[in-house]
Amino acid sequence: MLTPKERLKMILDGRKVDRPACICPGGMMNMVTSELMDRVKVYMPDAHKDARMMADLAKAVYEEGCFENYGVPFCMTVEAEEMGAQVDMGTNVYEPHVTGYVIGSVSEYQKLHQVDINQGRAKVVLDAIRILKEETKDVPIVGNLTGPISTASSVMEPVTFYKELRKKNQEAHAYMEFITNQLITFGRAQIEAGADLIAVSDPSGTGEILGPKYFKEFAVTYINRLLDALQEEKMGTIVHICGQMSPVYKEVDEVRSSALSFDSIVSMKEAREHLKDRILMGNVSTYALEFGDPDRVKMLTRSCVKSGSDIISPACGLGMKSPLRNVQSVLAGVKEIYVQ
Amino acid sequence: MSSKEELLQRLSDGVVEMEEDDVAEAAQEYLDAGYPAFDGIMEGLVDGMNRASQLYEEEEYFVTDVLLCSDAMYAGLDILRPYLPEVSNDDKVTGVIGVVEGDTHDIGKNLVKIMLETAGFNMIDLGRDVPLAKFVETAKEENADFVCLSTLMTTTMGGMETVIHLLEEAGIRDRVKVMIGGGPISQKYADKIGADGYSQNAVEAVKLAKKLLDIA
Repeated sequence: MLTPKERLKMILDGRKVDRPACICPGGMMNMVTSELMDRVKVYMPDAHKDARMMADLAKAVYEEGCFENYGVPFCMTVEAEEMGAQVDMGTNVYEPHVTGYVIGSVSEYQKLHQVDINQGRAKVVLDAIRILKEETKDVPIVGNLTGPISTASSVMEPVTFYKELRKKNQEAHAYMEFITNQLITFGRAQIEAGADLIAVSDPSGTGEILGPKYFKEFAVTYINRLLDALQEEKMGTIVHICGQMSPVYKEVDEVRSSALSFDSIVSMKEAREHLKDRILMGNVSTYALEFGDPDRVKMLTRSCVKSGSDIISPACGLGMKSPLRNVQSVLAGVKEIYVQ
Repeated sequence: MSSKEELLQRLSDGVVEMEEDDVAEAAQEYLDAGYPAFDGIMEGLVDGMNRASQLYEEEEYFVTDVLLCSDAMYAGLDILRPYLPEVSNDDKVTGVIGVVEGDTHDIGKNLVKIMLETAGFNMIDLGRDVPLAKFVETAKEENADFVCLSTLMTTTMGGMETVIHLLEEAGIRDRVKVMIGGGPISQKYADKIGADGYSQNAVEAVKLAKKLLDIA
């Protein structure tokens, strides 16, 4: 019997395994729910700022039979906050979100702080990874990064940012270099702290928003620069991109991650046809996980497996009010298929 | 000097081609030549924006393109609007729009607002992360005909249902149409919470608003 870590490693290496893995990375793809917090009596928003609590919640995800991984953090605001953005830590049902930007234009990026991995919530995340590394063995630890476009549009007004990609093209590239370098620092530190793999979620860098030309010029370029700068010895990388892929399948295939993950608007079958040689992750509807029932979740899970998903996962993470029995039905559903 | 038709074409093309400065220049020339501001807006700027929406529907243009087209349109509007004959906002159909509390993703909402304004609606934009009661208060104060709610996150979509309940409590639900949209939203969800309609994108939102409010 493979351990979850061995199985995921083999999948990412492109080797044949007994069944798909079932994970939910964390970060933008949050996997902590209210019910889970009640089970272990560790709560957000405090857990966003405390390494011990963060690690305990991450452990609970695996221990309560939800997913076969640990992952931290549970939001996508750490990088922006360390660069100076104001963040509202949210509640036990709302995720943290940025409430105050730092700069008004891409050309002002020198005003941003460099990410300091020895303080603030960057340190909390790294400490949580160290705790997980110390206290666990057979379950993969996922470190999460907010993607370059999403980070860049978290410290300034996104509408201005998108426009300046065209209007101040050269300065926009300089800005993206700076942002990507911050992410590299944080990502390398996560691997050093003990993360087995890195998941990069870039929900604001969609093909629908940018169009194929800018998707390639900005999203693909800087995601790849980030991936290339991470240490070789890690298990692998996952890149999650939101929205329709139909305008940008060709460009997405240029992303040099071990696995690609899409949201549930993308049909897994269609993704499989367009990306024959890629390792794909996804994409059980986040909506169904919150508002459906276990039977529906299992049905969707089976359909993902059948359509050729290598790593079964909630499409965009979990809404915090998702019932635990629904959440547990993804993994249970995967196991049922392979028992028969 | 350019003819009226030439200038209208230049306004329209300038919007489609995202040439903010040229649109502003053309708008000024158009005024200086003594042509009516109303035609300049409708047959020039709005025509250009409609062409841009068409390109968006055809996936020739993407969100960033439409945002830049709308900048060009607004640059022209700023110049032409002061010369419009007085029309009070009371005659216009008014909508309140915003992203519900807990969510700050507003690209989609901004697009919908631009398209609805282009179509002639008077839109009151509450921005993002909007306290739910604010939608109802504003709808009441402004005598709004419809409310547009947007969210990209499943965690915050429940707020839409709350707004509908609050409209009921305020006793104005029967005269305010509710339209919803955003990533996780679907027609099914609209039906479930009792919204009047769902639209998948900004172009559809205009069609939906017109349908709900019986506007040709």
